[in-house]
Amino acid sequence: MANALESYIDHTVSVITNDGRQIVGTLKGFDQTINLILDESHERVYSNTQGVEQVVLGLYIIRGDNIAVVGEVDEDTDTALDLSNIKAEPLNPVVH
Amino acid sequence: MAQQGEKKKKESILDLSRFIDKTIRVKFQGGREVSGVLKGYDPLLNLVLDGATEYLRDPDDPFKITDDTRELGLTVCRGTSVVLICPSDNMEPIANPFLQQDG
Amino acid sequence: MLPLSLLRTAQNHPMLVELKNGETYNGHLVACDNWMNINLREVICTSRDGDRFWRMPECYIRGSTIKYLRIPDEVIDMVKEEVVAKSRGRGGGGGRGRGRGGGGRGGAFGRGGRGGKGDNRRPNRGGGPMRS
Repeated sequence: MANALESYIDHTVSVITNDGRQIVGTLKGFDQTINLILDESHERVYSNTQGVEQVVLGLYIIRGDNIAVVGEVDEDTDTALDLSNIKAEPLNPVVH
Repeated sequence: MAQQGEKKKKESILDLSRFIDKTIRVKFQGGREVSGVLKGYDPLLNLVLDGATEYLRDPDDPFKITDDTRELGLTVCRGTSVVLICPSDNMEPIANPFLQQDG
Repeated sequence: MLPLSLLRTAQNHPMLVELKNGETYNGHLVACDNWMNINLREVICTSRDGDRFWRMPECYIRGSTIKYLRIPDEVIDMVKEEVVAKSRGRGGGGGRGRGRGGGGRGGAFGRGGRGGKGDNRRPNRGGGPMRS
């Protein structure tokens, strides 16, 4: 198997970073250290008291050593989500 | 061709010779910040700083530096823990420059 | 597309860099290298809590302390052009390295070749698994 990320290229992915943020965007590239290029990305900010806030970020390079999880997003499922009514505890940062 | 490639790799993008005998500000992994006169360096970013001053941090918030300082004198800074280098002169605190743009 | 190719293409463009310590730096990218070390000019540094700001004419940042870089949207389209132009110039790819090497020589250092414990030692040609 080549790198599993190859199959995510030009697909929407969700990235959880070590500081507990979730960034969703189109994967345009990556390298052997899992540095990622995300295009048209946005951050989803979770809160206990109000719905998910989406913050537009644009074109991003995320450093691999700051990445905890990369997942492919099913766009049909994702667009069906009513983010404004989802309340959730924000993630804690990774503890080293 | 290969030689050229190697040559390119070895060249540092940072020319520290420009800062010799000038005061620079250095930030370290772990949050310490120091300024001093650059007296020497090597390609691994080990630095010799003369008359170094450390900017002490808020004990309650180790990410927040205060106005308190302590004198360290002549120091060698370990390159592997250097996070950031900038010239000290013309580095100045300013008001929020992003406010006008947003409003 | 490689993240470092995109970063190289972003030279002379404005960008935002967040470090692992939470500080952010806004400035124009002057240079970068294969370790993602970067040189910025006309920099504004924002403290972790976002309420203190410094201006600095230039700064050098070690790549390993970077969390992420935010780059102007249009830069990604410029990378494509650069890559296309380069591969044309080279006139076809050619091999990329030698891979991991073939199956090795086996022989003396194959499994069981270096003096087993029992009396029933026997030569094990080719280094393959020993069958009993």
